[in-house]
Amino acid sequence: MRVLIIGAGPAAAAVALAVSKSPDVEIQVLDVGGRLEDENDAARLRMSKSEPSRWATRDEQIISQTAVASEHHRLPEKRIFGSDFPFRDFGQLDGVRVDGGLNSHVVSGAYGGFSNTWGAQTMVFSDATFNDWPFTRSELEEDYRAILNAIPYSAEEDDLAEYFPLWGPADALPPLSENPERILTSYDRNRVKVRRQGVLMGKARLAMRGAKCVSCGLCMTGCPYSLVYSASQTFDDLVRSGRVDYVGGHLALSVGEEDGRPFVSARSQSTSRVETFHADKVFVACGALGTTRLVAQSLGMWSRRIHMSESAQFLMPFLSLRGMRKLTQDGSFTLNQFNIVLPFDEAGHDLVQIHGYPYNEAMDDALPTLLKNPALKAVGVALLKRLTVGLGYLPSWWSPGFDVTFERPASEGELAPMTLTPSATGEAESRRRLRAVVRRLVKAAPYLGVMPVLPQVALSAPTKSYHFGASFPHSRTPKEGLESDVLGRVHPWRDVHLVDASVFPSVPATTFTLSIMANAHRIARTVMEETRG
Amino acid sequence: MAKAHGQLIGVTGSNGYLGRSLVAALRKENLDVVEYRRVALDADASEKTRVLDLGAPMDPSVFEGVTCLVHGAWDLRETDPRRAWERNVEGSKRLLDAALDAGVQRVIFLSSMSAYFGTKQDYGLMKLAVERAVLEANQVVVRPGLVYGAESGGMAATLSKLARLPVIPVFRGAHQFTLHVDDFLGAMVTLIVSDDVPSAVVGLAHEPPTPFNEIMVALAPNERGPAKTVSIPWHPLLTTLRVAERLNVPLPVRSDSLLGLVRPAPNVPGRDVASELGLSFRPFSVTGE
Repeated sequence: MRVLIIGAGPAAAAVALAVSKSPDVEIQVLDVGGRLEDENDAARLRMSKSEPSRWATRDEQIISQTAVASEHHRLPEKRIFGSDFPFRDFGQLDGVRVDGGLNSHVVSGAYGGFSNTWGAQTMVFSDATFNDWPFTRSELEEDYRAILNAIPYSAEEDDLAEYFPLWGPADALPPLSENPERILTSYDRNRVKVRRQGVLMGKARLAMRGAKCVSCGLCMTGCPYSLVYSASQTFDDLVRSGRVDYVGGHLALSVGEEDGRPFVSARSQSTSRVETFHADKVFVACGALGTTRLVAQSLGMWSRRIHMSESAQFLMPFLSLRGMRKLTQDGSFTLNQFNIVLPFDEAGHDLVQIHGYPYNEAMDDALPTLLKNPALKAVGVALLKRLTVGLGYLPSWWSPGFDVTFERPASEGELAPMTLTPSATGEAESRRRLRAVVRRLVKAAPYLGVMPVLPQVALSAPTKSYHFGASFPHSRTPKEGLESDVLGRVHPWRDVHLVDASVFPSVPATTFTLSIMANAHRIARTVMEETRG
Repeated sequence: MAKAHGQLIGVTGSNGYLGRSLVAALRKENLDVVEYRRVALDADASEKTRVLDLGAPMDPSVFEGVTCLVHGAWDLRETDPRRAWERNVEGSKRLLDAALDAGVQRVIFLSSMSAYFGTKQDYGLMKLAVERAVLEANQVVVRPGLVYGAESGGMAATLSKLARLPVIPVFRGAHQFTLHVDDFLGAMVTLIVSDDVPSAVVGLAHEPPTPFNEIMVALAPNERGPAKTVSIPWHPLLTTLRVAERLNVPLPVRSDSLLGLVRPAPNVPGRDVASELGLSFRPFSVTGE
């Protein structure tokens, strides 16, 4: 049996993990395969072989380039090992048009996809999230566990376990930065008072090898020791062991079934020729928008408006009453350090989540221009020493999301032009919910020794959260062309399975990628089980 | 119902009114019961009792042989919220993990109607946190209403004492979901012996609620003639109680309990589960009729 996986991001990695357990199955991965530049990769490699104290300054400069401000958006675009390769156009962004200030870097062409640059948040969805889904969290538990066993994982049992079980052996997190540590200590001391305001907290749960962290502070710009998970690590292992045949440099243009057998047409980036690949099963894992475009192009969904549900992102900076002793990102990891969860119902369905990030050098650029003036530098430093940046998410049912339409491509060898537009409704609801979040946090903040910086609280533009999907949501009784069945199949396909967030029935505010991987693993595992009979 | 025999039922909190009544009811049903207590009893009683302290590390071996564990223990002596959390919430989570590790098939957590979403009561918040852990472990939560009966204990006993005052204080708009002790015991036996009980929060109480002044008038001694009530504003009383607690003045009612009376649960959860299990709850009457 031959299985073809399109893409090499987290969903694709999860499928590969599930399928690779069947020794008689050939696995081929078709991917655009954009890579980190050689110079940057060489610097990363040199650094990975020595302690931070022995790093060459030039190497450090190359790979620690901080985020770059992007037009229209409050948050800058991250750089990883000094490169924009997870966001760069390797052909996969051809024909992407955006209206209304949306983000155009919505499909990654990188080997490993956006997991090269993600926040590494790793929590299961709450049980009640699945009230809107055609299967339960219990049915996904073995897949969550399989993924958590296959990726690095650092987590600790705390109040968050009331909604999000750990479900796997985990390293402890490395020591936290000063401000987050102090905030969590205050929470511990005033837990009942904080929870009375409808706020609970716990340490971050991350796809990283916490036990090996050397606290060099470079997490946000790329861990030189590869301690933060990327889907590319899974593929590196599977390719090295001969379990996966990886075919890079190919951009999938259409997928379908011919005489009952699935195929994929893809354009070779080197020859520009369109080639056809056949398999017994095809798993489509191009990221929610990449997959949506591939399906729309393959089934001729021209000029139809498809709604993408998105968990809207918001920014909420906090200032601590006491600051760090020294303004530096060294001596700590700099990924998310704690999570704030605000339940809005008893079951745990309507949850809002905020990730707390400590100081890192990218924040220097975010200071108001006035405070960058040398005369006021001391004030700026004092503020930065007290700053913790909260990056929050609302569930998709309180978020506007956005719409996407496709046009017929000019020729066979091109991707269908894709236009993203803001949804006409939903923003008022987001703002109303965000105000409710702010009200709770203002009441809880004194017990945590912080204050939210209210003028800086802002909703990000649609598409900016990267937590979007639900274009072909799973359903027990899928509507033709609008929904997929529980194995991610859109009519009329029987052996082509969509496995990324495009098949999510909803996008909760809680962390995203682990559930994408677990669901992709569930689909692939079930398909393999059914095939074996 | 099926599992009546061959079971060993563990009950924590059997010193309290509900736990004590439950142990007696289970033994009356010829069920084997082991009671968990903080301190060891004399040798004669030791076969039917085991030692368990919520504040101490939990040894799974204390649950050996137990098929169903009813967890009702809650240390109300601790008034500092941080220490109360550590002892009751973290202790209950440790107990839950240890019981499940030891192979206990069903854990039933005795929560409270104070544990509703949005409660401001410390007690309710702590019970709610344990409820979440119990539900995450696919176990059962029950929320009994205000339990009354021939020999009331707990809050009902406190209210009975207050009802003996020459003038009975009542709070405008306050109400309680009530539960006769016999209905509580019947429901618990059903939850323990039934084969299929879903992981859910099951409210054990009569609905609709009974106005607080009706409860107090009914609890007043008959021989004194018609009860006299006075409606008092609860905010100043709450502040007074909180100040007194800060000054370590011993009080018959805690500020947190007052909050539970004046800000009760909005409804009884899990009515569908109760109905499927055939549980019913009589309307409030001190005679139990």
